[in-house]
Order: sequence, then structure tokens, then C-alpha cells
Amino acid sequence: MTYVLNRLLSVILTLFLITLITFAITNILPGDVAMMIMGTQSNPEALAGLRQSLGLNDPLLVQYGRWVGGMLTGDWGDSLIFKKPIAELLSQKIVASAIIVVMSMTIALALAIPLGVWAAVHRDKWQDTASSSTALLGVSLPDFFWGIVMILVFARWLGWFPSSGFVDPSENFVRALRHAFLPSLALGLGLMAHLTRMTRSTMIGILGQEFIRVARAKGLSERTVIWRYALANAIGPVITIAGLQIGYLFGSIIVMETLFNYTGMGWLTYQALLNRDMPLIQASVFVIAAVVMLTNLVVDLLYVAIDPRIRLD
Amino acid sequence: MKRFLSVKGLIGLILVGSMVLIGIFAPILIPPEAGTAMDMTSRLSPPSWAHPFGTDQLGRDLMVRVLLGTRLSLEIAVTAVMMSILIGLPLGMVSGYFGGITDNVLMRLVDTLLAFPALLLALTISAILGPNLQNTIIAIGVAFTPFLARIVRGEALRVAQMPYVEAARASGTTDMMILWRHILPNILPAVIVQATISIAFAILAEAGLSFLGLGTQPPAASWGLMIQASRDFLDRAPWTALVPGIAVALTVLGLNMFGDVLRDILDPRSK
Amino acid sequence: MNALVTVDALQVAFATDSGPIIGVQDVSFTINPGETVCVVGESGSGKSVTALSLMRLVEFGGGTITGGALSFRRPDGQVLDVAAADSQVMAAIRGNEIGMIFQEPMTALNPVFTIERQLTDGLILHKGLSQTEARTRALDLLRSVRIPEPERRLRQYPHELSGGMRQRVVIAMAMACEPRLLIADEPTTALDVTIQAEILALINRLKREQGMAVLFITHDMAVVAQMADRVVVMYRGRIVETGTVTEIFETPQQDYTRALLAAVPKLGEMKGKPAPEKMRILGDDAAYAAAKPVTARKPEVLLDVRHLTTRFPVKGGILRRTVAQVHAVEDVSFTLNVGETLALVGESGCGKSSCGRSILRLIEPQSGEVWINGRDIGALGPHDLRRARADMQMVFQDPFASLNPYRRLRDQVAEPIQNFGLAQGQALRDRVAEIFDRVQLPRAFMTRFPHELSGGQRQRVAIARALAVNPKLIVADEAVSALDVSVQAQVLNLMMELQADLGLSYLFISHDMAVVERVAHHVGVMYLGRIVEIGPRAAVFDNPQHPYTQQLLSAVPIADPRRRRFADDLSFKPITSPIFPLGHQSAPSVYTEVAPGHLVLQS
Repeated sequence: MTYVLNRLLSVILTLFLITLITFAITNILPGDVAMMIMGTQSNPEALAGLRQSLGLNDPLLVQYGRWVGGMLTGDWGDSLIFKKPIAELLSQKIVASAIIVVMSMTIALALAIPLGVWAAVHRDKWQDTASSSTALLGVSLPDFFWGIVMILVFARWLGWFPSSGFVDPSENFVRALRHAFLPSLALGLGLMAHLTRMTRSTMIGILGQEFIRVARAKGLSERTVIWRYALANAIGPVITIAGLQIGYLFGSIIVMETLFNYTGMGWLTYQALLNRDMPLIQASVFVIAAVVMLTNLVVDLLYVAIDPRIRLD
Repeated sequence: MKRFLSVKGLIGLILVGSMVLIGIFAPILIPPEAGTAMDMTSRLSPPSWAHPFGTDQLGRDLMVRVLLGTRLSLEIAVTAVMMSILIGLPLGMVSGYFGGITDNVLMRLVDTLLAFPALLLALTISAILGPNLQNTIIAIGVAFTPFLARIVRGEALRVAQMPYVEAARASGTTDMMILWRHILPNILPAVIVQATISIAFAILAEAGLSFLGLGTQPPAASWGLMIQASRDFLDRAPWTALVPGIAVALTVLGLNMFGDVLRDILDPRSK
Repeated sequence: MNALVTVDALQVAFATDSGPIIGVQDVSFTINPGETVCVVGESGSGKSVTALSLMRLVEFGGGTITGGALSFRRPDGQVLDVAAADSQVMAAIRGNEIGMIFQEPMTALNPVFTIERQLTDGLILHKGLSQTEARTRALDLLRSVRIPEPERRLRQYPHELSGGMRQRVVIAMAMACEPRLLIADEPTTALDVTIQAEILALINRLKREQGMAVLFITHDMAVVAQMADRVVVMYRGRIVETGTVTEIFETPQQDYTRALLAAVPKLGEMKGKPAPEKMRILGDDAAYAAAKPVTARKPEVLLDVRHLTTRFPVKGGILRRTVAQVHAVEDVSFTLNVGETLALVGESGCGKSSCGRSILRLIEPQSGEVWINGRDIGALGPHDLRRARADMQMVFQDPFASLNPYRRLRDQVAEPIQNFGLAQGQALRDRVAEIFDRVQLPRAFMTRFPHELSGGQRQRVAIARALAVNPKLIVADEAVSALDVSVQAQVLNLMMELQADLGLSYLFISHDMAVVERVAHHVGVMYLGRIVEIGPRAAVFDNPQHPYTQQLLSAVPIADPRRRRFADDLSFKPITSPIFPLGHQSAPSVYTEVAPGHLVLQS
């Protein structure tokens, strides 16, 4: 219980730090927001007016206070390019991205765990070489390249899945999944490659432990030894590693959603960055970091639930 | 596996070696205007004797552009990673060796920074600084620093607990000398391995940034930009995407293979 | 012959990068029903490989049985060649007809399964018991290995049990199906001496009650003397000698066996001797005869430790504040004379190591004074402390970790000299060469890196580094514990020679009572951070007064088969936790002087 309480307090502290870092990146770096919005050729008077109306002439601390205060009271401001409340935009887009994140993670784990275990069990044999080489190739390709291949093969040539657009799951659940499938698959394959490597090395570590030898000395079958004794120990570390990949995934969805015209968080963030929509940049960067951090928290708690060793702390 | 290892090492070495050679010599041997020379009569032409890798939508020779792009890609990746090492190495070493409050504060900050996806961080920094070559390097370098500092700190912490460090302290060696003579040489293998793999990631990040138009700007022969440009002609001219894509893949694959083998050789714990 | 196991010309090969290498060859011996056969040897002798072959577990470590036969007599009288049996048959034998226990109790149990699951799965598999039947049997097993509160233990996970308790569970697991042969591979090496005694006694009782045979693998001749009916001595993959335990210990035929036995210190052999004596090393009789006992010239105090207390914070709570303290060293006082050795002995966690580090201020003590040569080390500022370090050096336990793998040995030995600016250039090189001579290492080693040396050679380098600045005090923290017994004897002799020649004082920290008896002038026994008994070596060993000292001495295995001590169940008082809440007032250590210089803690 104290463990959970500790984690919660640390979450609040981290959220605070995330707002600080987000604000710092978007403000302390040289770069004039007003000029970004209006372009370098704009009229100085109009610039001054814009600065005034955005509150850019106030001290940074005041600006930071206004921003955090606004977020705490539910007023996240308006997007400059979409002319809509940011809170409303984000709440829509985050659902769209959640579908992709969950789908790609599911694909990745479902493929990576068996493949990684298989490689570890046949360590140094052809199975290992095959699986390791595939995984190595997987981590070496940029994921937008995968995306392009997916579009080419599954959308253009085979015509099985749509290559662009987002459908709200509340309107048509099946169509929503079909639209999310190709970007998820492209992300999932890159992720799978990484997770396969991690599962393999985790399993190799576990298979070298004494309790595995003890299990064999008890006369248990290899199937029991590997898929029960060893895997039960590997699942915690693998899930932790998978959790850490959430960050990577949220980086990649920016590229992938843009490529597939899938209007989620990644697409939104990209639009904000491209158009220098500062309030929207701040809000989406903050939300992505916060979501990544919270996911890691959930994964940690999951680990506590799985691994009896941590329960006592 | 050992045979696979050495085969893997050899392939990695050949790939990395050829990319470095291409990176050095392509811009010397190929006149710069060849990369931008447009030939409107042969736009999007498939691979042929005249254009072994085909041409792009402006009729530019893809082989020339891909070769010229090698230096750009490597330059950005290596400089960015060196920058992150320059910041991350001393930070991580001091943090891990001395521990205490500084370590607590620094690592809390680093952990928080790690919640920001590296690509998002790089994109944001690049967008705010204004996308160009130099800012792309800064963006990637800054985005990779927390991760590197984390790794170095972990290694420094491990080495600081080794009896030979305690022995050095017991025989009156100063902290600076311990860091220099004992900690640094012992964390260096891990840093080298990490740097190799980070360069691979940096190449992917640069490609991603350019692909999104927030990295190097046209008409530079950047692999990411080339893939970006190919999007509209995928049906008619898939080679415009495949050629730069394969170039990225081969470079990153080579670096990853090389890094894996380096890890096996240098990292005593992997044995 | 009705042998249970007949090993005939066994050969095992391992695949490596540079082709197959032979792990063991031409190994032949038998095990009769109900007897204990000990396979003894130093590291690399192939003793574990032999044991694993019998279960065909060697295959999982990359080994292959390439020759010979392993006959095992099954309960139905049929004789099976284990080397040729198919994996189905082997699975039926493993854990059922042959049980096995391993060295590391901390990692031998699956951390994410309950004790119940791990105890019962073998029973369900081999004996076809139902879950409830298996549970009942598991409870019986836990009782038979004397684990208190067996019902509660079944629900617990391994990490909730102490090391000794875990090893009992591992034994219960191996015994579950009442095997006819128990293979024990270094089952007590990782355990403290009192727990080792308990486990050895437990194995002896189970063997007697169930009439099973035991194949006991160990490197420790003292354990062999206590456990074996017959002994197989191995060296570099081959059998050197086999015989009954009395034959091996009293009339050994081979030089290797004799050398091994000579190198083993025997508890009690120093009785009546006034001062430490060098170990007898075979083939080195002349040196042994020439060596004089290491006696101090005239008692002159070098190190005076007064009321030393060291505590480690236990962090916890929301802000990682200190919530409790480990009382690692609690009000410890003693003196050490010039040219003498004071040994601090005790089991793991007793604070002996922390005490040594606190004296050198490698960790900061809470309070107390440490006087060396009339200077209080505790009161020195950083600058003076660094200078004072020239007088006091340390030798660590692990010869593999105490040298920087990336520096040449010459540079590592030179480092302390450079730190104090004692010599430069040619003078420095000469000094380093001199020290290499001093610790009997060839000068050619100076330019080598640590990985090119054996464990014993590395420990000599570590001693050389400590000697480099002519210290007066050397703290030797388990300095010979990681070494094979013959190497241990050589290093001990080197240390004693250096003491006699240079007038060094040693604070000798060790868990090994037999070694301590051999090298120490004075002995302090530590328990829960305090010295519970301290005095001249003869007084403490011959007339132990504190119950803990008595317990410790009665648990030490003696390398003499005529002095067996672990026939019946033993149960020692378990060591309690040294963690106390913040602000806990510890009582001062008050001693009774039972004889001149022989102090016993009042409790």
C-alpha cells in the first residue's frame, strides 16, 4: 500500500516536472512565437499586438502560472489553427491514437513472445539465427518505410485495407479497426523486432538460472520447464520493457498517423508543430509525456501484481 | 552462434565501412550539381543503364542522390550522438560516482525527460528553432542525451561499487583520478556500444524528421526527404521510396550488427 | 555386485569455439545402496560434470557424454545405462529415483511460484497423486526437514524464507519421491557454518532413515571427512584416487591427495602451540622447517579501536527518508599490536567487514575512535586522511574484482606510490619490481593485464599493491576465501612470511575458524555488530566462554574422519536482525575478563 502511495506522490511530482520541461522547451529556446505565427515578413505593429494578446510580454513565470493554472481549471485555451478548444480536440484525438497504440502493442507482443522464447530455447542454432536476423532487420528499417510498404502491398495492390483516414469507433467499430489496422501493423512490426530481441535475452538469462536446473532435475518435461517455469519469470521483465516502448510508440505515431492521414494525437501534434500553433504544441507535448509516464506507472503496478517479490515492500 | 557472430560482425563491418567510405568519397568524386541536375524528359523513369536506381519526380538520378545523402545522414547522426555523449558522459559519470542529492535531482530530471518520446522532443525542438541542418543536429543531440546519461550513470554506479575502486580509494587515490583511471576506462566499452546503436537510431530519427519536413530542407539529398517526396508516386514509381529506404536500412542494419558484435566482445556481462 | 550406480570410463566433452574439449575422462567408480560417496576436487576438477552426467543434465550445459557407461539399478532390479537411455526414461528417473540438490539455495527455487507448487509438482507428475494428497505429503516433507510452521510455508514464496530454510525446501523437493540416490552438488558451500552443520546433519539423518545412497560433491576436505563413507578424489577431469574415507585421510597413496590434505587447516591442530605457524606445503618441506613461528617482538600497540559504531540508514517512505538503521558495528573496541594478527570471525552479516572498512574510513563510522600510531583517524580532515592511508592498506576477497581489468599490473601496483609521490621514474620502476619479487611473482607479469593471471596470482598482485607504500596495517577482508585450498595455503604462507620479515600487523577478517586458528595471535568473535568474545587465540579456541563462540566452534567441520560431529539433528539459534528503529538506544558493550586479556561480553 505504501508502495502505491509512494508511486502516486512521485507521479504528481513528475507531472509537475513535465509541465516545467514542456514549458521550458517551448519558451526558453530562442524563437519568437508571434513571429512563428505570422512569419518573418510580418508587420511589426501587428506582431506587437499579437504578443500583447498572447500575453507574451509578461514575465515567463507569470506565463507558466497562467498555463498550468488554466490546465488545472480545465481551461486549456484554444488552438490557433483549428480555432477550437484544445481540451475538446485532445479528448477526441487521444481515443483515435489509443486504438493504434493498443492494437500495435497487441500485435507486437503476440508475435514477439513466442518468437523470442523459441530463439532462446534454440540458442545458437539455426532457429535462433533466423529469428535474430529477422528481428535485427526489423529494428533497422524506419517504421514509416514499413508504412509505405503496407500502403503499397495491402492497400494499393491487394486492396484489403484502406490506406488513409480515421473512422470514429462509435460510428462504425469494424470500419474503425480496419482503418487503424495498417498503421498499427507497421508500428507493431518494428516494435515486435525490438521485443523479440528483449524476450530472447531475458529468457536466456532465466534459462541459465539454478531453479531451471532444479526443475529439470525434478523430471519435469521441457515444455513445463520452458513455458511455465521460465516464462512465468520472463513475463514481468518483458512487460516492463514493452511498457518502456510506449514512449517510442508515441514518437512513431506522429510519423505513422501523418503517413496514413489518421487523425489522432500524432497527426494533431504534427499539425501543431508544422503551423507553430504554440498553445496546441504545449498541450499535446504535455499530454503525450503524461500519457507515457502514466502508462509506465500502470505497467509498474502490473509488475507488482505479477511478481510476488515486490509485494512486501 | 560464434560463427554467426563473426559472420554478423563481418557483414556489419563491411556495411558500416562501405557507408563511411561512400560518405567520405561520394561528395568528392561526384560533382555537387549532379545531385540537383533535373532532367524533365526522364521523370520517374525506372532503373535502367542510364539511371541504375531510376529517377525521381524531377528527373534527378536517384543513385547519385542516395550516394550524396550518405554523408549528410552520417554527419548528422555522428555529430548529434557526439553531442549527446559530450553532455551525457560527464553528467552520468559524476552522478553515478558521487551519488547523493545531485544524483537524485539529476536522475529525477532525466527520468522525466525520458517520458518525452525522443522523436517528439527532436521534432518540437527542431520546429521551434526552425528546421535546418544545424538545428536538426541539435534537436537529435538533445533528444538523445537523457538516455545516454542514464546508461552512463548506471554503468558508473556499477563500476563505482567494484572492489578495485575501493582499493584505489584505500590507497589514497583522489576522486578525479579514480574517475579518470578506473571509472572511465571501465564504462567506455558500454559507452562505445551505446554510441554505435545510438548512431543507428539517430539516422532513423533524422530520416523521420526530414520525412515530416522538420529536418533537413530541400533540395538537400536527404534520405528522409527522398522517401517523403516518393509518397505521391508510390503506384507508378515504387523505387523512389525503396531506394532511399534500403539505403537507410542497410546503414542502420550495419550499425546494429556491428553494435551487437561489439557488445558481445566488449561487455563482459554478456558472456 | 549389487552396486546402485556403476560409472565406467565416463568421458564428457563440451563444444566450444575452438572445437570440443574434454571435461572429464576415464572416470570410474561405484555407489552402493545406502552409502555416501564424496567426490572431492578443486575448481575445474570435473566433479560437478560427473554428477550432472549421472542425471544426464550435463546436456543442458552444452556437454555430451562421449564415452563410457553409467549403470543405474532401478527399483525393479533392472540395470539401465543412463548414457544411452532415451529422454522419456530419464524424465521418469529424474526427481523420482534420483534426487538432486544444488549449491545456491537463493536461486534454486523459482521466485514466482509458491513453495507448495514447487514441492507438489514432482509428486503429481511421478507418483500420480491428487492435489490434496500431494499437499499432505508436502507437509510431511517440510516436517521431516524440520521446517517450523509448515502450513504457512506452503503458501509462501521463496524470497520470504532464509537461505538455510530454502536449502531445506530444496532438500525436501529432492526427497519428495523417496529417491534411492541423492546427488548433492556443493550443497553447503554458500551457507554459513552453523547452517552448514544443520544441513549436513539433516542429510545424514535422511540418508539413515530412508536407506538411500548419497553422492556428495564438494571442494571442502573437512566436509568430506565428516560425511563420506568412500571418497573419490578428482583433479583436472580425472580420478586421482579412490578409497574409504579413513584410507584417504590416513594413508593417501597419491601425491596430489597428500598435498591437498596438507593444505587443509584442521581445527584443533594448533592446540598447545604458542604462535601462528606456516601451512605445510608438500614438496616445500625445507622452507617449512626453516620457518620460525611468527612471534611478536615486544608488545607495542599499533591500532587502538575504541567504541567504534557504524550504522547504515534504511531508506523508506515517501521522501526516501531514513526509517531505520542497520547496526552494522556496535560499540567495538580492541587493540592490535605491531607485528601481530588479530582475526575477526563471524558469520555473514555480523559486521566484521563493515568494521574493517570503518577503521580505514572507507565507510564513515557513526562514532568512536581509531588510533593508529598515536593519531585518531576519525578526526582527520580529507587531506590528512588521504596521507594517513599510506599506513593502512586493504586486501579484498574477490581477486577477480579487486583489480582494474583495463590497467597493467605494474600500473596498479605503482598507483599507491604515485599517490603519495614516494618515487618516480626509474626509482618507481625499481620499487615495483622489488615488490613483485617480494610477493614471489615473476617480473614478466608486470606488463600483463589481470585476466592473464590465475586467482592466486591476482591475490598476490593485490597484496603487492597493498605493500607498495610500506603500510603498518593491512586489513585482509576474507583475503583467501575465494581461493582453492592449495592456493589458499600458499597465500597464507606468503602473508605470514611478510609479517615476520616486515613486522606487518594484520586485521584478518574471516568466516573460516580453521584458517583463523592457524594465522591469528588474537581472535575477536563478532555477532550482530558486537565483539562477543575476544582474547589470545589459544584462550578463545580452547576455552570459549560466550555461547555464540561455543556454537560456532561446535559447527565447524573437522578434516578428520575420526572426529565426526554431525550425526544427529542440530539446531542452532538463528541470527536475529541487526535492523533497529531510528533512535534505538543500544546498550554499551560491557565485558567480563575471564582470564588475562580474554574478554567476554556480558548479556
